[in-house]
Order: sequence, then C-alpha cells, then structure tokens
Amino acid sequence: MNRVTPKMRELAERLIAYETKGRQSPLLKTPVSFPVSEKLRPRLTTLMGKFGFHALLSRALALAGKEVPWLRAFQVNAEGSLESLDKLEGSVHPDEIFEGRVVLIAQLLGLLEAFVGEKLTLNLLREEWPSLAPPPEEIK
Amino acid sequence: MKKQNNVVKPKRTKKTVSQPAKVTIRKLPTGVRGLDDILGGGIPEFSFNIIAATPGCGKTTLAHQIVFANATAQKPALYFTVLGEPAIKMLRYQQQFSFFDESKLGKAVRFINLSDLVLKNDLNAVLAEIIKEVTTANPGIVVVDSFRTVMREAVASGSELDMQSFIQGLTQFLTSWEATTFLVGEYGEAEIRGNPLFTIADGLIWLSQVTERNSVVRKLQVMKLRGQDSVPGLHTIRISANGLQAFSRTLGLVGKKIFPKGRRRLSMGIPELDKMLGGGIFEGDSLLIAGPSGTGKSALSTHFIDEGLRQGESAIVAIFEERPVGYVERAGSFGLNLKKPQKTGKLEILYLRPLDLSVDETMQEILDAVERIGAKRLVIDSLVGFEMALAPGFRADFRESLYRMIGALTGAGVTILSTVEVEDTFTSLSFSHYTISFLTDDIIRMRYVEIDGQLRKVIFIIKMRGSNHSKDIREYVITDKGLVVIGPRQTDYARLTTGAPEPINQPQEASPEPKEKKLEGVLRRVRD
Repeated sequence: MNRVTPKMRELAERLIAYETKGRQSPLLKTPVSFPVSEKLRPRLTTLMGKFGFHALLSRALALAGKEVPWLRAFQVNAEGSLESLDKLEGSVHPDEIFEGRVVLIAQLLGLLEAFVGEKLTLNLLREEWPSLAPPPEEIK
Repeated sequence: MKKQNNVVKPKRTKKTVSQPAKVTIRKLPTGVRGLDDILGGGIPEFSFNIIAATPGCGKTTLAHQIVFANATAQKPALYFTVLGEPAIKMLRYQQQFSFFDESKLGKAVRFINLSDLVLKNDLNAVLAEIIKEVTTANPGIVVVDSFRTVMREAVASGSELDMQSFIQGLTQFLTSWEATTFLVGEYGEAEIRGNPLFTIADGLIWLSQVTERNSVVRKLQVMKLRGQDSVPGLHTIRISANGLQAFSRTLGLVGKKIFPKGRRRLSMGIPELDKMLGGGIFEGDSLLIAGPSGTGKSALSTHFIDEGLRQGESAIVAIFEERPVGYVERAGSFGLNLKKPQKTGKLEILYLRPLDLSVDETMQEILDAVERIGAKRLVIDSLVGFEMALAPGFRADFRESLYRMIGALTGAGVTILSTVEVEDTFTSLSFSHYTISFLTDDIIRMRYVEIDGQLRKVIFIIKMRGSNHSKDIREYVITDKGLVVIGPRQTDYARLTTGAPEPINQPQEASPEPKEKKLEGVLRRVRD
C-alpha cells in the first residue's frame, strides 16, 4: 500500500529540486547523494535519536525500493546516512535518480505524516526550508 | 520663678527600619484545571520537581500540559526524551489533546533525544549535552522523560557516586540557569526512601491509580512542595480530550467569600407549604425532602425550581435517575414550563450518570454550572441516585464531599433542595441514612399512611433551623397542577407518623402549640 499523498510527493519534488539545483552533472560521475534526507537528519536525530532516525529512513528506503529498483543498492549506515553497496556510476539516468530521490523522500514524509500528522510534518520541514513548506493556513 | 526652658526638645520620631523584602516566588501555571489550586497557586519558578508514577497514570501528559502552558519562543521548553516513549510517539499521541499547540513546536517547545548518550552509560556526556542545549536555548522549562531510565542505566553501570554527582550537577546547573525543571519517572512508593533524588527535589507530584472492585480512578498527591501551601491528600484526576483535570479535595472552595445570611424567605411554589414553613425557607438554607418512592419529592422540587424561575432567579437541577427530557415533560404535565428557561439559559438540568464518576468531579460539575449561570437555587434529585452513580471507591467519601459542597454553596447564598428516598416502615419514622444535621438546615418528610382503606400521603416539617414552623401533619395529593397540600390536617387520626393511624374518638391532649384551626379561631376573635 502506498501511503504517500500527492501533496507529499509534490513537496518531495520541490525539496529535491531545490537542494539539487545546479549540483548534478547530466551524467553521474559522483556517488548518488541524498541532500534532503541529509539535511533532515540532524533535526530528526535530535527528535528521535540516532537509532530512531535510522529505523525510519530504513523503512522509507525499503518502501521506496519497491518502486525504484536502483535504490535497493543502498543502505542506511550507523550515522543515518545513505550509502551505496554497489557502484552505480553511469548505470542510472539522471531522470531516474531524480525520481528515486523523490520517491524516497516522499516515503519518508509519508511515514512522518502517518506518525505525527500532516501539520507537524510540515512544521518540521518549515523549520529547515521556511519558504518551501506551505504555511499553516494553507494546510487543511 | 521657674526658669523658662526655651530649649526645644527634639520630637522623638519612631525610627522606621525597612525590612529587607523577602523574595517573591513567581508561580507558573500548570495548564491543568484545578491543579494550580491544589499546588497553592502553581509551580514555583526555578524549582526542581519530580513527577512520579507507575505506568498509565498520566505523567507524560501532565509534563506536556505544563510545557505547553508556559513555553514561548523567548523562553522555550526543552523536552529531553530518554529511552522511554520516543518523541515521535509522544507527538503522535499528545497532539490528540486540546492543549497541544503544534505552532509551538520547534521554536517554543523542542524535543531532544538523549537515548544514544544514555545507552553509552556516560552520565557526564548526558549532563554535558543537557548543559549544551540549555545554554544555547535558555529555556524556562526543562523536562527529562524518563529520568528513571537515566538512573537505571547509571545504577547498572555500578557507580552510585557518579549518579549522585550527576543529580547534584544537574540540579545546580538548571537552577542557576533559571529553569523550572521536571524529572518524569516511573517510581514505586518504596523507592522514595533513601533516594537522594527525592531529597534534593523541591516538589514531588505523585500520580497513582486506585482500584476498587471494577473501578479504577486516577489520583494525584503533592507529596512535597517547598515554600508553598499545597492542599494535602489524594485528589482525583481524570484524563480527557483536554488532558488532565484535577479535582481538589476541597473543591477549590477554601477561602471563598461567605454570603451574609439574611432572613429573606423563599417560596416553595406551594402556598400551603410556605405557610407550614412559616413563610418559606430561608435563602441560603439546605433543605432535605425525605420520603419513599412515589411520594412526590421530585414534584415538590420542581415547584421549588419553577418558583425561583418565576422570581427571575437562575437554577440548576442535578438529576441522577430521571433523564432531562422526562424531567421537563413531567414538569409540563403539572403546567410548569421548564423548556423556556432552559432555552434562555436560566435553567440547566444536569444529568450525571456516567460510570466511575468521582465524587469530586461530579461536585465540580455542579459547582461549575452554578457559577456559569449564577444559580440561586439548586436541586439535587436524589442523594441516593448521586451516591449510586459514583464509583464504589468514592462512596465512602460521599458524605464528606457532599457536606463540603453544600456548606460552600449555601455559604455563597445558593439555596439547595436535596431529595432522599427513605423506606417507610410502619413502626418508626426515619428521615434518611445520611447524617442529617450536617447536611441540612430544614427537613420535610413525606410519607404514606393508610386511611379508610386508602394509601394516602401526608407531609410535615421535621426541622427548620432558626425558625418556628407548623407542627401539623397535612395531607396532600398530586394532581395535574402538581403537588397540592390539602387539609388543614388530619385531626381524626392519631399515630399518623407510623403510617398506620388510628381514629380518635376521645378528646385529645392539649398540643404544646396551637394547632392551625385553633390559631385561626383565635386570630378571628382578635380581629373581631
């Protein structure tokens, strides 16, 4: 069951686009990075602890891996960062990378939404990206 | 000649010594209704407190309420979570309560997870992290939940000295940083003894669950609170959609202004009964109507309420047996319209019959209603139903609490009519199994009597504090106009109070006071 709402999917797209703007070469030369989850990591670790964040991201990765096969090559390390088990260089098209990142973040946001609700999830995001997350009055 | 002394003596002035002002301790609101009164005004600012309980008593909810009631962006609250309930789950559940304000999260209320540090058994690192966060945020409130797990890990690591040093360091640091601190933990009562934490703490709030037969009731006790006059004893708490609510044993009535008792008499709405009462009952009295089932106690109380409404007074009816709709309909069958005053807010009918009702919260509900509409008349119909609606564990406290509530309300000028069902025996006359003199100023008794092969009803006044009253036993009927007293009295029967009177054929003994007929005769002669 995919719990990701169109709103979270759209939000994930905006966050990925914002964080990766002008940073990726058309063809992948460096290991795939996940700037949004990296940016969320300290905040969520403060809230949930290292283990808690690790567990949440692992779950999001497992769910996202069902939709985007290349994500299955990743795992969450002890610090809560995503690292690749295999070398993906050149084997994944940039569009697919974008889609994979969006799906992963959308799953992460979907999990947060399921646990603490849309309002608190957007509150958390607003702390990190004040201009990107919709203000409370827009949240219905 | 005496030499005039021109020396002007300096006037002796009283030397005023200014006393150094004692420190004023600001009290923080808890955000828990009723708890500030119990605490003696609130939580002392910069105090170091423990909220202790076994699981499921509401510790975390209490801590959250305090946090949300006080945290601001300028003076935030830091909520350190440690191995207990993860913050994400806390947020999930606590947001269900009405006090939860998500707009405060992040800026005013910050959650910080210390689990990883605690798991390393490094108390110094835990303390250093708390110091770092507190120094950065400059919070007004600091919560560590659960502190017990911090201690458990410290004990497991085998160094009690480290633990004591940690507690000492934490206390000193947080107090110096002007933070009001709450350590939340699962403790048993046996753990209080010899635990340095409880010695150091300024305040100790203990929550518990009391089981009585099938009922479970949550209780709160302020075991310790330095520098404040808290209300001792166990107080009932209830967790609802609004979070915790506390019901003080004193119902928050201590120190309330006493209404000066005048001699104004209130009509009962039944003219003949008013006459028997010497003109009505005194305002601010507590009147008990005792009688067996079906004698018309509720009908009488409805007249009392209706009369008050006619006089422009607001009224509360607390019923436990009949439903409000039925109560209003029955009043309508007597020609008394209670629907209109209900709509205009002059009358509130409280139907109180939930399971596991605590006596204090029921009384609080009545008190709230009285205050809400400024009621001058209150009917409790009936005391037996009230007692039955309570959780078994509260029945023992019923009379004590009822006494406090009646005393406080009558003291505030509210006139109370309570009904009580008593069983009629045909050998004696009982008033009620309650301690009458403590609860009531006046008592009216209704009972069945067997006369001429009919079960008829009689009414008489047993007691009226501070006033004379009719000693007659009057017959009454309940018609479509309600309760109608007829009589003037049954003169042809003796032993009416036993319920099995006997006809009198011989001359009676002179009564100690003139009976109504004779009195009327005397008055007629005086007039003539």
